[in-house]
Amino acid sequence: MLEVEDLHVSYGRIRAVQGVSLSVPEAAVVALIGANGAGKSTLLRAISGIVRPRRGAVRFRGENLVGLPVHQIVRRRVIHVPEGRGMLARMTVLENLRIGGFARRDGPSTAAGLERVFALFPVLEHRAGQLAGTLSGGEQQMLAIGRAMMAGPRLLMLDEPSLGLAPLVVREIFRIIPRLTAEGTAVLLVEQNARMALQCAAHAYVLQTGQVVLSGRGADLLATPEIQRAYLGTGEAS
Amino acid sequence: MPDLAYFAFLVADGALAGSIYALVALAFVVVYKASRMLNFAVGEWTMLGARTAAAASHTFGLGLGGAVAVGCAGVVALALVFNRIVLRPLLQSSLLSLIMLTLGVGILLRGAATVVFAGIPGRIASPFPLDPLVVGGVPLSVDKIVAAAIATACIAALSWFFHGSRTGLALRAVASDQQVALAVGIDLHRHYAITWALVGVLSVLAGTLWSFVSGGGFGIELLGFKVFPIVILGGLDSLPGTIIGAFAVGILESLVAGYVDPIVGGGFSHVASYLVLIATLFVRPWGLFGRPDVERV
Repeated sequence: MLEVEDLHVSYGRIRAVQGVSLSVPEAAVVALIGANGAGKSTLLRAISGIVRPRRGAVRFRGENLVGLPVHQIVRRRVIHVPEGRGMLARMTVLENLRIGGFARRDGPSTAAGLERVFALFPVLEHRAGQLAGTLSGGEQQMLAIGRAMMAGPRLLMLDEPSLGLAPLVVREIFRIIPRLTAEGTAVLLVEQNARMALQCAAHAYVLQTGQVVLSGRGADLLATPEIQRAYLGTGEAS
Repeated sequence: MPDLAYFAFLVADGALAGSIYALVALAFVVVYKASRMLNFAVGEWTMLGARTAAAASHTFGLGLGGAVAVGCAGVVALALVFNRIVLRPLLQSSLLSLIMLTLGVGILLRGAATVVFAGIPGRIASPFPLDPLVVGGVPLSVDKIVAAAIATACIAALSWFFHGSRTGLALRAVASDQQVALAVGIDLHRHYAITWALVGVLSVLAGTLWSFVSGGGFGIELLGFKVFPIVILGGLDSLPGTIIGAFAVGILESLVAGYVDPIVGGGFSHVASYLVLIATLFVRPWGLFGRPDVERV
């Protein structure tokens, strides 16, 4: 469904992404792992149109997204949950969710969307009237994902959803991913928590200094010695 | 006039002026919220609004409603062009240069208005009776009451727009965080344009109403200076705070003009609101209703 072909992204003279190709099949979970600065977030930003690639193509259901403005890409229901969650801190939880459905004029009503989100994250319903900035980190991450769900995503890109969260909360968040794919949403997951990501991903890519150095089935990568050493902190010490 | 009635008169008169201040201040705040830009030309836009409506009235012989409608169309068109041609290419530049730009725009508008509107009366004759209406022993000018009623209706409509409509919700999202607004699919350029269209409408309404109550002569662009104490007092990013700040400044000016000006020899009412501004900055820099950033991480 999503095909990234030979994508190059630069910030000035810094080449953040250098010729990455990857694909995300329909309703699949694909993980992107790698160290800080490997270009993972930049890749997501290029797919969602926030930064413009220098070269290469991003094909979504056959259409090249490169050059489209961000809101046009959102209208194609390619939804990006940025790192740091991007709360509208001074707006209520409910308003944050409503705004998530902004680009969606067709499809199910806002009420149906809210019902779905509240079913997955009951805590958001209890906090509906509260300012988003006052939520805990885990609740904010749930709100960020809930807001993305309001757009009815075909492709959901999650950037570091586990960042700064307690392990129990991380598990709570990851519990959602299979439910999303069951409803037909594909997930492109960027994570530093490689173990968590590889466990739930059908396919994974390892990024290093802007290039794909390794890819394969999530479970296979989990068992690879280099991965264990570099990203999982098991195996022999380096 | 007995003391209490005089006090009531001053408060009422100040509140009536405050309602128009509120319109000008709202024009300032919507721009600030959307783009963090401080529009120092807000007074000049208001002047432009008044003069465009007046020109429409005098050259086409239109009544008040028609003149305001034509005025709105003209100023909104100009504001949209300004947004598209001047502001949009500067979107990535520093806030400081945008603020300097507004100072330049102010001077340009002031100069251009004297040329373009040369020989055309600067105001629409007030269609309302000149005799004041006496309410509970307090005389109030009909002009001011009508102006305040219209201003209040506009404020109510604007509040509904921001909190009850889809576009309003989107505008608040843009105000809150542009990156997030982008990420949920809000077209920023479109919403900047809507913001400037609002500035155009507010400028015409505020300018026209002010030209009724001020009796002309007074440079409307000076109305822009009222905005700073109002928005600092109310909190730069709070719409309700702006409205309350506007009424507070209007009433304060009126009271000072009534009680202090006769003693010190006049003019102190204009200074008083700036003293409040300074005091606010010392005590509560985010204003009465603005909020210091709330965020848990």
